[in-house]
Amino acid sequence: MSEIAGRLFSWVNDRLPIVNTFERHLSKHPVPSKVNFWYLFGALAAVTLIIQIVTGIWLIMPYSNTEEQAFSSIEYIMRDVDYGWVIRYMHTTGASLFFAVVYLHMFRGLLYGSYQKPKELVWIFGCTIYVAMMAEGFLGYVLPYGQMSYWGAQVIISLFGAIPYVGESLELWVRGDYYISGITVSRFFALHVVALPLVLIALVFLHLVALHEVGAGNPEGVDIEKYLDDDGIPLDSVPFFPYKVLNALVAIGVFGIVFSVIMFFFPEGGGYFIEMANFEKANPLVTPDHIAPVWYYAPFYTMLRAVPDPLGGLIVMAAAVAIFFIVPWLDNSKVASIRYKGIYSKVAITLFGVSFLTLGYLGTVGVTEIRKTMSVVCTIIYFAYFLLMPIYTKFETTKVVPERL
Amino acid sequence: MTFLHKEIMNFYKIIFFIFFILFTYDLNSAAGGACKDYGDCDKFDYSLNDIESLQRGASTYINYCYGCHSLQYSRWGRVATDLQIPEDIFFENLVFDKSIKPGDLMTGAMPEDSANWFGVAPPDLTLVSRYKGDDWIYSYLRAYYEDSSKQYGVNNLVYPGTAMPNVLLALQGNQKLVCKDIPMIAANGGQKRDEYGNDILKKKCGFLEVEEGTGKLTKEEFDDLIYDLTNFLVYVGEPIKATRERLGWYVIFYFLIFTALSSLLYREFHKDYNK
Repeated sequence: MSEIAGRLFSWVNDRLPIVNTFERHLSKHPVPSKVNFWYLFGALAAVTLIIQIVTGIWLIMPYSNTEEQAFSSIEYIMRDVDYGWVIRYMHTTGASLFFAVVYLHMFRGLLYGSYQKPKELVWIFGCTIYVAMMAEGFLGYVLPYGQMSYWGAQVIISLFGAIPYVGESLELWVRGDYYISGITVSRFFALHVVALPLVLIALVFLHLVALHEVGAGNPEGVDIEKYLDDDGIPLDSVPFFPYKVLNALVAIGVFGIVFSVIMFFFPEGGGYFIEMANFEKANPLVTPDHIAPVWYYAPFYTMLRAVPDPLGGLIVMAAAVAIFFIVPWLDNSKVASIRYKGIYSKVAITLFGVSFLTLGYLGTVGVTEIRKTMSVVCTIIYFAYFLLMPIYTKFETTKVVPERL
Repeated sequence: MTFLHKEIMNFYKIIFFIFFILFTYDLNSAAGGACKDYGDCDKFDYSLNDIESLQRGASTYINYCYGCHSLQYSRWGRVATDLQIPEDIFFENLVFDKSIKPGDLMTGAMPEDSANWFGVAPPDLTLVSRYKGDDWIYSYLRAYYEDSSKQYGVNNLVYPGTAMPNVLLALQGNQKLVCKDIPMIAANGGQKRDEYGNDILKKKCGFLEVEEGTGKLTKEEFDDLIYDLTNFLVYVGEPIKATRERLGWYVIFYFLIFTALSSLLYREFHKDYNK
């Protein structure tokens, strides 16, 4: 029996590179031997993506994408579908934690220079994933068709209207109607469950292929490819299996605890993961008191509001995301890791982190005079971090990076 | 945090200090709670395992609220099962329309043109505990007061200008806004007294007080009634809430074991590697 299985396997393997691919990208793939916890968020992002896809498939089954039934079908899932609430809360919690994990993953990139030569493409694919995620998250948020779905979509789609000449027709084209309606919901549904997931999966594939081509980084910024053993494997590396897999498994365990605490005890996340107003069915006649985006868009929403002119706000917001793409060419430093960079870089990244968090906070609360000033200041710091990077990374004194990890 | 130097630490301290000041200032200046003129909403702690409270709440809801407010996402049979009321007793005592079956949704008893009666159609309340919050409901239902300028003779501190009459007036009694003399507090935290040692009093208005003998229930009994009713609305807003919180412990326990075992395994393999 086992002989037949073995022969069948080698028959397939002669025609499909199973063993080769498995060894190259999983079992024998060399990864740096010393990394810290910041290097675990990539694996967690992959886990969350899988959670989103699997729960998403099961949510599609009972969900109804019509104007009349979208909202009530969610309540149907929460009440009448067996364990529908588990699937739904996994999806909503997963969405927020996906962003949390990806933000930490991106910050890791900035801390340890994960965008530097030769990893530019890995970084760019990553940034594209982030843009696709933002679109995916927005489309998904409209589907329950609650008050915040409706009015959030209203705000976001009207942004297109700020574009000169084509704005209004673009708005109409996105909505598919003169106002947000069942037509908008069903097209967003198609994009959310088919189009963007395909794009995301393709991008994740490219992100990983490019990463495995150039090799993963490490917190020291040491190039492990310099010292190889007789088989051409870096001396400062360990095989992906079992070392990295076990490391990721511990991370998944901790992540599972965080995930279940939120999902079973605080699924609304205090109104940040599922906003309270979204438990009310969309009503085009009643505007909610306070329209706030979900937390993961909040920093960009604050930047939009910080600029008085709608078109200017839109440009600033788009630039805030787009600027990530050119980071590999903004950093003039000889070293990759923040550990060996100079004081300017350390000050800059701290100010950037603090301003990003502050922008996030400001996006979820109402506007007052002092908050307006704070959002302008933080927006300036945010952009200064990127735009001044060519200067401060060039003129600071860096420390010498060791040869070995 | 191996990259922290002394001068950077000082810089960080300054940054965090500035932001701390700004945030404190910001939080203090944020005005206007959810409960409007009532001030802060009263805190409500649900107890979804108190089945008797839920049963009393359901009975109050169906007798006093269901006439106008549907629970359109909830099913009759589900409520009976979850609240452990035998189906025959439930349907005999709480379901007035005898054509209703257990699987039917609680779509309400209001005719289509009801909006004309109150100026606004009474909203469905299945999810009210989720979009208004339990604290809000608990405060709102106890914050009615007499106001002859309004259509139904009452107004509400939590929801000024509410379209809903005080349906529970007969139980609660006639609640009025009254003014009271309250002792003034001096700057040192003690009571202010005049030169003869008498307390200095200040007139303050906006207190809710029930006219004695006008209601069937005492204040405590009425508060309990609203507690049960709010508790029921929390249940109806998310029927699996109690199950969710119970299951959560098992899942967390599972992940604790999972984390412990995987980190032991991880350490074992790394010992092997570092040799």
